[in-house]
Amino acid sequence: MSFVRIANLTKRFGTHTAVGNVSFDVPQGSTLALLGPSGCGKTTILRCLAGLETPDDGAIEIGGNVVFDTCAGIDLMPEKRELGIVFQSYAVWPHMTVEDNVAFPLKVRGMSKTDRLARASKMLETVGLKGFETRSATLVSGGQQQRIALARALVHEPRLVLFDEALSNLDAVLREQMRLELRMLQERLGFTAIYVTHDQAEAFGLADTVVLMNQGKIETAGPAREVFHRPASAFVARFFGMNVLESRMIGPVAGTEYVDVALNDRVTVRGVAGDGLDVTPGKPVLACIRKESVRASRAASPGSVPGTIEAMSFLGVAEEYIVDLGGVSLRATQPAAGFRRGDAVHAVMAADDWIVLP
Amino acid sequence: METSRHGRVPSGRWLQVGLPASGVAAGILLIAGPFLATVVRSLLAWEGDSPSVSLNNFVRLFTDPRFADAIVNTLIAGGCTTVLSMMLGFTLAWLVARTDMPGRAWFETGNLIPFFLSPYVGALSWIYLLAPHGGLIPWIARTQLGLTMEWLNIYSVPGVIWVLTLFYTPYVYLFVIAPLRQMDAAFEDAARVHGASFWYTLRHITLPLVLPALLSAALIVFVTSAGLFDVPLALGSPRGIRFMPTEIFQMVQYPADFGRAAAFGIVVLTVTIVLTLVQRSFIANRRFDTVTGKGYRPRLIHLRRGGRIAALTLEVFYIGGAVVLPTAVLAMVAFSKLWTGHFMWRTATTGNFEYVLTKYDLTRSAIGNSLFLALFGATMAVCLAVLQSYYLTRGNPKRRALVDALLSLPLGIPGIILGLGFLIMAIRTPLYSTLAIILIAYIARFFPFATRTITAMFLAINPELEQSARSSGATWMQTMRMIVLPLLRPSLIAAWLMLFVIFIRELGATMLLFAQGTETISVAMVILSERSSGYVAALAMIQLALLLSAFVVLRLTRTSISQG
Repeated sequence: MSFVRIANLTKRFGTHTAVGNVSFDVPQGSTLALLGPSGCGKTTILRCLAGLETPDDGAIEIGGNVVFDTCAGIDLMPEKRELGIVFQSYAVWPHMTVEDNVAFPLKVRGMSKTDRLARASKMLETVGLKGFETRSATLVSGGQQQRIALARALVHEPRLVLFDEALSNLDAVLREQMRLELRMLQERLGFTAIYVTHDQAEAFGLADTVVLMNQGKIETAGPAREVFHRPASAFVARFFGMNVLESRMIGPVAGTEYVDVALNDRVTVRGVAGDGLDVTPGKPVLACIRKESVRASRAASPGSVPGTIEAMSFLGVAEEYIVDLGGVSLRATQPAAGFRRGDAVHAVMAADDWIVLP
Repeated sequence: METSRHGRVPSGRWLQVGLPASGVAAGILLIAGPFLATVVRSLLAWEGDSPSVSLNNFVRLFTDPRFADAIVNTLIAGGCTTVLSMMLGFTLAWLVARTDMPGRAWFETGNLIPFFLSPYVGALSWIYLLAPHGGLIPWIARTQLGLTMEWLNIYSVPGVIWVLTLFYTPYVYLFVIAPLRQMDAAFEDAARVHGASFWYTLRHITLPLVLPALLSAALIVFVTSAGLFDVPLALGSPRGIRFMPTEIFQMVQYPADFGRAAAFGIVVLTVTIVLTLVQRSFIANRRFDTVTGKGYRPRLIHLRRGGRIAALTLEVFYIGGAVVLPTAVLAMVAFSKLWTGHFMWRTATTGNFEYVLTKYDLTRSAIGNSLFLALFGATMAVCLAVLQSYYLTRGNPKRRALVDALLSLPLGIPGIILGLGFLIMAIRTPLYSTLAIILIAYIARFFPFATRTITAMFLAINPELEQSARSSGATWMQTMRMIVLPLLRPSLIAAWLMLFVIFIRELGATMLLFAQGTETISVAMVILSERSSGYVAALAMIQLALLLSAFVVLRLTRTSISQG
């Protein structure tokens, strides 16, 4: 059953439509990631949910309560929405100690001092900050401030917790660790979580469901794996860093879900037909393939295409090549193979890895 | 859409929108009221019993030779004060910020002290120091050196310029010291490396870089010094030298001519508002090309022996002239039974203090009134300023710029003009001749100082700090009380103390609005100045103690005054 329901949400800033008629549901106890490039409207949706921004149109329901509805004239104040939020800046109050920060939600709910400090202390232990209680909140590191913000967002046991780019300011190692801890914490405490992020690894690592946004609209939404493996549009394919090549439809392969497309006069590839693909021969279409699914090889193999290395860059464990297939450039990421610019290679790709989109 | 059990229109939102908006509305009313009253009154002329709308008041004003006289003197005094205080202020700031002058830490604070003193008392002190008969310095010159100093007359336009310069130098100093300090050393180093001499670099690199701050300070100093009532009253009026503020004051004394005074007020208002707006747009356009604090901090310039002596002489000259000598002579007069131009231990007495503190009703109630106005007025103005700052940083973004411009208008308006507006407004109401009308006028004239200080601090507070409090379950009021106000505290203290100082010494507006029983310390000094210099000096010492204690508290709390 859905815990958060967003219906026809629209938010404009002047003439700019930040969020345009967006609807989605979040089931109870699940996690959803709002993913997209900066300015796509994902943070605006989160702020509308929290009551920090007033939408121009639509309705929001949290746990069966309508918290916002333009038709019914309902707009609950942020403090009436019973949720927790973690900001990118952490927003840890500099004039309070660590435990005062964490106990704040309990204080404004009128809990006695001893009770709330005990609860705060327990929550600090949960996030790994035991012993920091009386420290000034500004005298701890960024990673620790992040944990304070998290403890503060969870201490009053809200059923919905919002994360606004909450991991973006942490360094890579800390971010990885925090992601795993968050996942475990969420399973243990059972809250519903909505993450806003521009980082796909963070989105997939944290969320059951991913909503990918572009220019205020939902581009694609669904289970994380599905969204990743079956890109619904060229925007999605590009956002996930796939090769997206303009090509021409040759026609469907009878009796299969495959189609043949021409990348140029010379190179033809076979790939899976995406949703809503027009298979009329000659139609311009987009052939997409993940960089990791293309491999540059010295030896030819069935279905490989000959080409030359146009450029290479060293990425540590992997190397990225740009392979020129006679006017068509294809990027390939693979374990270091030692090719250099100008080397003659064969681009090896499987038909199942190509997806053809309108 | 179905409505749930929580489905009702929130009642809490009017507070968070309405309270800041009411602060802004109050501010606008406080400015608009006296302004409109002055405009209306300047256009009304009486023919017999019935008033009619005409430009008669303006015609009478412009054809009056005294008007031209006052304007010329005011422009000369304001212009000369601006030039002199710019030179003095820049030099002092440069010495403190950029050289290794000995005692820099002391002078850094010392140069600011005059900012906290009363110009009226400063002018009185310089009368005690320099008056042709009964001045300390002519007495020393005559008895010790056998010189006569008849040519040195403090009751003159140069006398006014001298005292004004002493008091307006810290304004310039405050404006330019920050850019001087934060300037990227690379600008100057590049000039030196490429062959420029020290003086050439100072003239062609350093000075142009702080020029925006300097010019902005110049406009403010000109507008405020030309509009200051205190100094012309003390040094011009006794010899019939006319200045704009004292002339307006004369016009509303018996037999009062409010129409002509209002017309004069409108002329001054127009000029000040235009200059203030010029200064605002100037700052707004220049904000992003001012020197930033990236790179190395500028090196300190090593002063050689001659330079050190010159620097110290200038500091001694300035702090001596603005603080030490006036305070010393004030103390001498306050402890003398009768001031005859020099202090005699024989006749030393604490009688003046006893009299003004315990025996004399006028001075006793004046001290009480001043304290009430300063304590209560500063608190009310700071409350108002918090609401306005909230609106200016968190409110409707479309209206902010306009509201900011409107609320900054009183910054340059002379106290006497605003006082005149309130006088015209209140004259036929029960508010006339009450302490309340003085309180309202103080708040109206000076709240923008507090609003600026607090807004600057507000801008540094990440709104997410408040938003996470709201999401944690705190109401708007709880968030203000538990998050916003504690974070704003340094600026609240700074703004409060600044207003306390300003209210304790205010004279221009008060002179028009006081009545029997609502005199302030400054007004009492003016009233007593024709009777006993001892009482005046004792009152001035008491006022000085109040002002300096505010200065000390400000230094102790390590808050700073922000300008610009």
